[in-house]
Amino acid sequence: MPETRTPTNGSNAGGARVGVYVCHCGTNIAGTVDVRAVSEYAAELPGVVVSRDYKYMCSDPGQALIQQDVREHSLNRIVVASCSPLLHEPTFRRTIDRAGLNPFLLQMVNIREHVSWVHLDKQAATAKANDLVRAAVRRVSLHKPLQKRRVPINTNVLVVGGGIAGIHAALTLAEAGKRVYLVEREPTIGGHMAMFDKTFPTLDCAACILTPKMTAVGSHPGITLWTYSEVVKVAGYVGNYRVKVKRKPRYIHEDLCLGCQECVTACVYKEGKTPDEFNLGLSKRKPVYLPFPQAVPQKVVIDPETCIEFKSKKCKKTCVEACGDRQAIDFTQKETLEDIEVGTIILATGFKTFDPVRNPYYGYGRYPNVYTSLEVERLINAAGPTAGELVLRDGKRPKAVGIIHCVGSRDANTNRWCSKVCCMYSLKLAHLVKERTGAEVYNFYIDMRTPGKGYEEFYDRLLDEGVHFVRGRVAEVTDWAAHPSEKGRLVIRAEDTLAAFVRRIPVDMVVLSVGMEPQPDAQAVRRMFNISCSSEGWFLERHPKLAPVSTFTEGVFISGACQGPKDIPDTVAQAGAAAAEAMALIDAQFVELEPYTAFISEDACSGCRSCIPLCPYQAISFAEEKKKATINEVLCKGCGTCVAGCPSGSIQQNFFEDEEIFEEIEGVLAYA
Amino acid sequence: MELKRTVKFEADRDPEFARWISHTVGGERIRHCLQCGLCSASCPLSLYMDYTPRRLMHLSREGFKEEVLSSSSIWLCTACYACMVECPKKINITHLMYALKERAIEERFYPKRFPIPVMAQQFCRMVRGSGRITESWLIVRVFLRTAIWRLLSMSGLGWKLFLAGRMPAKKEKIQRQDEIVALLDSVAETRKELAL
Repeated sequence: MPETRTPTNGSNAGGARVGVYVCHCGTNIAGTVDVRAVSEYAAELPGVVVSRDYKYMCSDPGQALIQQDVREHSLNRIVVASCSPLLHEPTFRRTIDRAGLNPFLLQMVNIREHVSWVHLDKQAATAKANDLVRAAVRRVSLHKPLQKRRVPINTNVLVVGGGIAGIHAALTLAEAGKRVYLVEREPTIGGHMAMFDKTFPTLDCAACILTPKMTAVGSHPGITLWTYSEVVKVAGYVGNYRVKVKRKPRYIHEDLCLGCQECVTACVYKEGKTPDEFNLGLSKRKPVYLPFPQAVPQKVVIDPETCIEFKSKKCKKTCVEACGDRQAIDFTQKETLEDIEVGTIILATGFKTFDPVRNPYYGYGRYPNVYTSLEVERLINAAGPTAGELVLRDGKRPKAVGIIHCVGSRDANTNRWCSKVCCMYSLKLAHLVKERTGAEVYNFYIDMRTPGKGYEEFYDRLLDEGVHFVRGRVAEVTDWAAHPSEKGRLVIRAEDTLAAFVRRIPVDMVVLSVGMEPQPDAQAVRRMFNISCSSEGWFLERHPKLAPVSTFTEGVFISGACQGPKDIPDTVAQAGAAAAEAMALIDAQFVELEPYTAFISEDACSGCRSCIPLCPYQAISFAEEKKKATINEVLCKGCGTCVAGCPSGSIQQNFFEDEEIFEEIEGVLAYA
Repeated sequence: MELKRTVKFEADRDPEFARWISHTVGGERIRHCLQCGLCSASCPLSLYMDYTPRRLMHLSREGFKEEVLSSSSIWLCTACYACMVECPKKINITHLMYALKERAIEERFYPKRFPIPVMAQQFCRMVRGSGRITESWLIVRVFLRTAIWRLLSMSGLGWKLFLAGRMPAKKEKIQRQDEIVALLDSVAETRKELAL
């Protein structure tokens, strides 16, 4: 039983009866701070009735101790000196709430992250802990009881991005009976996964497992699918977001088009002339086209940049003729804006592949037979530009293929991170290339990273298939021959670090296993949804281990490769997790909002209106009849911008009132 | 200082050798090698080797025949099996070392007068000829072919062993020695078929 100390001065300043609880946190705090001394010091402070130290304040007996003291000593203010309030403020608020005290009559002192973990000098650390506790005791006396606000939650969900992450999240939510808006920028859903041939390590065909899910999205009554659309504005707060979606014109009435593609056949262009985006420019498409055979929705799209009708207005419009009575083609279609209300948002905006032009020594763009891994996925895909034949630009089959790992990954000159999927997809491509062409395949790798179910076994299988593994980062791809056998071929130069000599290996085709990067507009998207990015540009999760799909904005979740490089199994798992987290919010039926709202003392408000444009949540309006500003409590998120901006100081914020803050500052500065 | 080209061209590789090693007895699992280096670390003789067993595995499966067959490592292996017991991929490293020794002898890939391959050859020849080993004669034969002067310098020890009855001058021989020859021929035949 911890020792109880009663104050010797017996003072009871301002009617506050404060209990101070100093946590050891095992040795985390007690190793550097003399917790007993802090507790003894606190006991002498004015207003303090009880002061204790305990090994783990957050444990059940620790909490019971506080509750018992609240009852026995009629405490009305509590100070807990322990870890960061981010970690345990909710815990101790619940503790005193159960003991019958308003949860906001608590003040936490962070003597772990701010003291014990950052200081070495025990004496100085203890003195600093004393100062912080003193400040908290003075501040907490001025705390006012506050009430959390409850607002109902809108059950609709917005999913942004129609790759496998967005598809899985949308289907999971729709199956649970929620209304889902799925917004995709491209004319079809499917994302990167739709472009792949096979998936590792099981080698099942990507399209075979993805397209059933795509069609399910297209036909689900609970999902409103908006392709060729982008979110342009997000307002509101958890449970009540108002979102504006821009729908780009596809010059086709989606409700009338059957996807018969007769317009495509009839187009005045006999052959396609525009590089096909879906095949990464390896084939050509017409101005009117279906992105790929299994596109969802099965609706064609007209590209105004290349369509003659848009350029000259003099086209014969054979497409319109072919469409006939359906009249699905409409050259006058305009961009439209849709306003929707949702309670939660799931971001699944995916990634982009590294552009290997940034690594000039690999010759991408200079040597025609240097390809990216994604291009090779299209080449070996039966629905791709060569109908699955892996051939070089001149139509010949390669006899030797070099696959270079870590292009744009693990490199301080480009991206420092490991893209996580390249080792496995390179192994998959090595297998497929060998299977389709019988070529000698060389993998150039730094480390072989194959953690995952069945992944190491897949690597073992590839080893046995006789694929060459050269451990070393490739220095150069060149067409300069240093040996007669290298003439007319692409030579890869790398150190075989396992053999301990440099090798020059001539091949016919080079595959660059490009890494994953954040989408180029990730910063703009994160600003729109008010979430954070890591320094690399990936969307930041609330906690890397314990809140991996939550963000620092309530009600906004992330899933898939927009959060960081990951493969399909991890992406699907995360999408399911994000859907479950969204449902947990929705099914609670209301959200509790922190009471840290701003309020205006009308006597002091001069009606200057300078606070109104400052508010990021449009929570402040101007009451014409009174000539004063008013704050809508439901919309206020408690950011404090208006409080700092008000020229007359007439705006205050709950829990952060001027006198509370000044009292705390004076407490820190009042050296004993 | 003599400067040599150290970069290796693909033309320096012998793909036939790489194919042979993975089809020879003991080589079935060589392609599975992860290059973890446990064999080298567990080998009591790797401290004298020019190429560690780990490197030999890699060079072999890639087909760098010259480097492998001219390596001293294959001759230093005493077949203690420490590497094989611990190998995480269950590669028959010791068996492979024997296969490499054999191939090196076949292709004369060892320095003249190098005692270990000479010893192996003379051992086999003696078994074939008389069905048994007479150690005194084996030693003499090996020294005659590798270091004659050593024979002289060690003659004192030899004489003492002779007096103690440890160096018999009479060659030992088994009965029905022709059956040993037939047995060895049949083994050689089978292996030729297997190697194809």
